[in-house]
Parts: sequence; structure tokens; C-alpha cells
Amino acid sequence: MRICKLLLASVLGLAFAAGPAHAQSAEIAATVIDQQGRPVVDAVLVAVPVDGNLRSRERPRAGSIDQVDKEFLPRVTVVPVGASVTFPNHDDVRHQVYSFSPAKRFELPLYAGVPAQPIIFDKPGVVVLGCNVHDWMVGYIYVSESPFFAKTGKDGKAVLTELPLRAYVVRVWHPQLEMSEEATQKTIDVAHDRRIEATWTLKLKQEVRVRRAPTADRGRSKY
Amino acid sequence: MTGGDWLTLDVTASTEAWHRFHGLNRASIGGTASYKHKFGLGYAAPGISLALAGSHDNYRSAIRDSDSLEARAELGQRFNEAFDASLGAVFDRRYARSDLPVVPGMSGRVFDMHGKSAFVRAGYALTEQLQAGANFAVRRGDVVSTTRQHREIFLESDAIAADPAFGDDFFAYRLRGTSTTRTTAVTLSWALSNRSSVNFRYADERTSAYEGLDYRGRIAALSFAFNY
Repeated sequence: MRICKLLLASVLGLAFAAGPAHAQSAEIAATVIDQQGRPVVDAVLVAVPVDGNLRSRERPRAGSIDQVDKEFLPRVTVVPVGASVTFPNHDDVRHQVYSFSPAKRFELPLYAGVPAQPIIFDKPGVVVLGCNVHDWMVGYIYVSESPFFAKTGKDGKAVLTELPLRAYVVRVWHPQLEMSEEATQKTIDVAHDRRIEATWTLKLKQEVRVRRAPTADRGRSKY
Repeated sequence: MTGGDWLTLDVTASTEAWHRFHGLNRASIGGTASYKHKFGLGYAAPGISLALAGSHDNYRSAIRDSDSLEARAELGQRFNEAFDASLGAVFDRRYARSDLPVVPGMSGRVFDMHGKSAFVRAGYALTEQLQAGANFAVRRGDVVSTTRQHREIFLESDAIAADPAFGDDFFAYRLRGTSTTRTTAVTLSWALSNRSSVNFRYADERTSAYEGLDYRGRIAALSFAFNY
């Protein structure tokens, strides 16, 4: 009987210990719009604790960016520093994926299927992806130094979850961002509020991509 | 960081409909094998391509029905996302299917012809959908034209055949080898999707053949391109 009581007390103790850990997290519900008030898809939100403590959350350190119909899918991917990313090619043509970005320079020589080795992204920053065969293909990997990040959906909304109760500097990045990433920074304190809503209005530049559609000015002409 | 090499095989089907001269309407099927080498990585890396194309061209006209071969070498570069340019050389050979002579002792294979060209071209994306282009080509080789009976022209020709595409009393004739054609063309291409576009091309062609035999043609063409 004493053993049972001891066991019950231990279980209750564990439950008590686990309860506050969950309860002691907060979230920031973010909305990102452009200057015309339209929702911005694929905006990356990163929350960096003001006290610099980044060790309180583990994020998966593996990712995958597919090539489907000669496009990178997803177009924007967020991973924590140290993540390994594979680049499966689902097309019936080969791709040659590369990046010149300072955060990661790499090249996957012409391949089909899944390359044997994933690429490790060990420095924070933005990695711009391209394909040397299909010049219009462009993709982005945001390598975050913080484990607290999220990406907006088509509705321009994203939620930064499981945030320990403290103050954060939250910033936004987007491939077409015209302003600096630092200019989007907001300090948000969730030490007392479990859920805070915040809105960012971004100044975006027009996207310029290499044209994919065929033209008729090449090749033969005869009459 | 290295460049890349790749080989592409394309099958092409095309058709052409003329506003006035229905005898020039054409349906073609063919294929192209092209090898491309890029001197580096990225869209701005210059590249060279070598292509060999062949096609069967059906005009429903015995004198025009033919098979064509074209060898093309092109050196090009994209300077930014919107602007690219290239220059190159082309060797073209066309094999007429039928020999229908109208002058005893003279070939009727008017469209059996060959030529060599050099060209420069450039394209600029004005918007996400609209791309403008310009190209200039100089071709040295055989030239075919059509006329009513014309003794002086026929004396300079080495092949003559009746050409009903332009009328019952018209004859197509070939000037062998030494004619120079300068073609200046402007293009506009409107992307309908990632795979298709509507294209307008206006070309001015000036040909200098033998003394006094100069030709000028202006061609406006509207085409639909689909890439599968």
C-alpha cells in the first residue's frame, strides 16, 4: 500500500512537473500583408529571445525540397542551423541544383532521383537555389539561428508556437522584401500574455524571374 | 563550381497557314538533338549549343514537299533575368521530294537548296508576360522565288517548276548559290502560361542575287507556341 501511494505521488509529481512546462509557453499569431493590404505568402518569421537563450526548443534538423514540374517545391523553406536537406528530383528530366549564396555554396551535379548525400546548412542566412539547366527555377532556404520560426500561408498568417515566456525580437523575411530584414524587427514580450497578435506590413518589390514560356523567335523559319 | 553539359532530344510538330497564298500552308513534323555546354553555373553563365534538326515538311504541293536538315551552333549569354543575347551560324539543307521539270534538260527540283547563315539575336522581357526580341541574319545560298514567264530570270536559274501556289501561270525558279539574304526581324511574345505563348513576328527580307535581281519581302506572322 505504501508502495502504491509512493507510485501515485511520483506520477502526480511528474504530471505537475510536465504541466507547467506546457503552460509556460506562449505564441505569437502573426499576420503579414503588403502595402496594398494583401496577404503575403511565404514570409518567414523568426523570433530571437532577447536574452539570447536559444536552447529551449529542438526543431527537426532534416528537410526536403522537391523538384516538381521544373520548379522547387516548396519555394521557400525554413530550417534551423545544422539542418540537412535533400533535393529529390521528381521530374523526368535531370536537374543541376546549385547556390552561390554566402550562407551556403554548393552544387549537385546533374542528377535524377534523390542525390545520395543531403546538404548540411551550417550557417544562418538566406540560400538562393537555382538549376543550371532550367534558368527560371528559383527557390529559397532560410537558415534560422533561432529554433522559433514559422512561415506564412496563403492567408498571410503564421503562428510562432511553444515560445518560452520571455521577450523576443521578431523579424520577417521574404524573397521580394524591399526593405532590410532588420527594419521589420519588433520586440514582443510574451512573459505575461500567452497569445499575442501582431501584424507586419511589408514593402515588396516586383518579382523578376527568367521567363519560362516558349518563344517563337528561335529555330527554323521556312516558306 | 563547374559548368554543365547536357543533351536534349525534342520532337517538334508545327503548322503554318498563310492569309492569301494557301499553297504555302505547311504541316511539319521533326526532331532536334541539341548539345549544350554552360561555362559555369547560374543563368548568367555563357553557353554554347550545337543542334541538329530534321523535319518532313508537307505542303500538299509536289514541288514544295521536302525534307529539311539544319545544323546550328550558337553562343549565348543571359545578362540578367530579363535580357539575353546570342550569335551563331546555321547550315541549312532542303531536299525536294519530286522533280517536276517544265524546261527540257533543266531540273524541276526547285526546292532542293542549301545555304549558310550567321545571326545575332536578343530578347528582353518587358513584363512578366511580354517579351520583345530582335534578330538579324545574313544568309548566303540558294534562293527560290516565283514569277510569270520571264526569259532573263529563267536564263539565270538552274531549276524551274510550275508553281500553282501563286497562280496557274506562275513558275518557281532557283538561283543557285551566290544570293545573299539579309533578314531583320522583331518579335513580341505574350506568355499565356509556363508552357504556351502567342507570338508576333515581323520580318523584312532583302535578297541580292545576280545583277539587277533584288528581292524584298515583308512577312508578318502570328504564331502559337506550346512546349510540352
